[in-house]
Amino acid sequence: MKLEGALNPHPRGWARRDATLQRVLARVLQHSAVPSPRFGVGTATAVTLLLSVYPAVRLSTQTSVDRLAVRLAGMTAVTGLEQAMADTLLTLVPGSARDRAGNVTVSLGKGTPKRLVACALDEVGYVVGNITPDGYLTLRRVGAPPTALFDQQLEGQRVMVFGARGAVPGVGAVKSTHLTRGRAGGPGTPDPAFTVDNAYVDVGATSATEARALGIDVLDPVAAAKRPHVYGDRLLAAPVVGRRATCAALAAAVQAKPNVKGTVVAAFTVRSLYATKAGFQSLVKLQGPFAEVKEPSLTARYADTPVETVALKDADALAQRLIAWMEGR
Amino acid sequence: MIGAALLLAAAVWAQDTSRVAEAQSVLAPLVETYGVSGAEGPVRETVKRMLPAWAQTETDTAGNLWVRVGKGDPLVVFVAHLDEIGFTVTGIRDDGSLELRTRGGFFGSLWEAQPALVHTERGDVAGVFMPRDSGVTRHTPPPLRVDVGTTSRAATMALGVSPGSTITMPKRYVRLAGTRATGRSFDDRVGSTAQILALRHLDRAALKHQVIFIWSTREEIGLEGAQAAAAALGTTARRVHAIDTFVSADSPLELANFAVAPLGQGAVARSLDNSSITPPAYVDSLVQVARARRVSLQVGTTNGGNDGSVFTPFGVVDVAIGWPLRYSHSPAEVVDLRDVVSLADIIQAVAETW
Repeated sequence: MKLEGALNPHPRGWARRDATLQRVLARVLQHSAVPSPRFGVGTATAVTLLLSVYPAVRLSTQTSVDRLAVRLAGMTAVTGLEQAMADTLLTLVPGSARDRAGNVTVSLGKGTPKRLVACALDEVGYVVGNITPDGYLTLRRVGAPPTALFDQQLEGQRVMVFGARGAVPGVGAVKSTHLTRGRAGGPGTPDPAFTVDNAYVDVGATSATEARALGIDVLDPVAAAKRPHVYGDRLLAAPVVGRRATCAALAAAVQAKPNVKGTVVAAFTVRSLYATKAGFQSLVKLQGPFAEVKEPSLTARYADTPVETVALKDADALAQRLIAWMEGR
Repeated sequence: MIGAALLLAAAVWAQDTSRVAEAQSVLAPLVETYGVSGAEGPVRETVKRMLPAWAQTETDTAGNLWVRVGKGDPLVVFVAHLDEIGFTVTGIRDDGSLELRTRGGFFGSLWEAQPALVHTERGDVAGVFMPRDSGVTRHTPPPLRVDVGTTSRAATMALGVSPGSTITMPKRYVRLAGTRATGRSFDDRVGSTAQILALRHLDRAALKHQVIFIWSTREEIGLEGAQAAAAALGTTARRVHAIDTFVSADSPLELANFAVAPLGQGAVARSLDNSSITPPAYVDSLVQVARARRVSLQVGTTNGGNDGSVFTPFGVVDVAIGWPLRYSHSPAEVVDLRDVVSLADIIQAVAETW
């Protein structure tokens, strides 16, 4: 089934609408939101500068949603460990604050009715479970895998470890194709899915001491490297992009300064994927009661895979609907 | 967070020697250039740009790039390959998605549900390798297809995609801790890099015979470019040095029964693989050359074939040389840049002294 709203092939239209935005996005698309210590440090600096300068330009809601969606899709927020994403939202959403559960919230308008609109910003991910004597990291998953093949996204792919000294690039180890020939794991042999218990993360360290010197320790968040990827007619592919684009639409709606009817609390919630949905429930108890609660979502194709895909035009439409809802229209 | 990452990067780079930095300056752009077997043109042009100004290049009808240095017998050949694994488009379905054929050997699971790039004459077209439809939980996916975001064959063709277009996934060269780096297609961009570095440092006045450096095509699909080069040279060459990956068991996932060549301990005499056996006396000679120049060299046996093997039917001895690589033919291959330097040094030493 094709993605709703993506039926009009117009591959260059987006670029024509906003060439400057495309250039910014092109930079962002090449680099995760947290740049890795790599060859392109200069480029990473340029991305940072562009992202910091760009909000000064007056943006339509559409371009704002596009920019926010790409930026949020490039970030990692392992459930329960969402602080970096929350920090970013605090800078993006005027007047917002972090509550004691870690949610980022902003209250718009005043009086009644008091309503809540919330999106969840977290994702199933991993933390460092152990560091082997020869410098490899083993992992513990955080959150239930949405599919039986979820862990397989780590195998033979680039990952990021979010240590105390910053983001550290690594790779998920995989057997070398050449060395499986004629052995178990080769063609015609049992073929079980890869699981987190098979995962060794290689950051280039040769000892546990060297790994720790990079700022890495047990419990540091780990996720597949995020490389948001635009294709077709403004289709955006990235892990958990459905959630990220939904939050982008909500952030864009708040940034549009709607003429709110009554009071609207807009919230970006944490820990929706672990045990008790603690972030959202705390929010309701701390700031409720609410006359109405809205938890928007976007339809995603290839859900729960590294190329989960949303149509940015659907995110635009969601932002418009949220503005209308906030204004009581 | 970003600032911390930049500081960490600066700290990592501060440790680089000038040789490691030079190796990286050649390797990174080669790794970030695309060239599936049969479509190596962009890689060949990148190699040309990085050769020393004095190097005169020729491109043969198979697409191999040649540089000849020195004069006289015995003729010695070095060959590294330009191509990388990937796919070609075999058909476009009514729904606009692409049917594929693999080029080279690899695990399909490493490409499933990953971003895709279709390389066309009009430029790259972005897409995704489609995840499998069902709840099948075995490791290996069914044959992969690519979605370029269209809904009809006509819309896909309007993007410039046609049967024969090649497909890869986006790739980047990324530094890891110490002198390690990751990327896709280190096999055999490291070999290509080492030949460039050797030529840059080569003392041409020291050469006692002619040396030919070849960057070959279509290695991954059957050593095809090298076969054309070998046929062209016939029996005129005395030795060939295939400069290609030594797939290493230096990984927690591999058996250490063979292929034990740790990363960071230098180039490797690839003395026995699935395509060739280097005569022991030649292995000994190579070790002597390395010792004389104080170049780190390991000796080992691994799996895979090499371009030099197709020269052997012409009476040419294949003395293959590699460097240790982890996670071969994956999107996350890992090398140690010190090994790249070591590989370049042994090539230079062999050219000048053997």
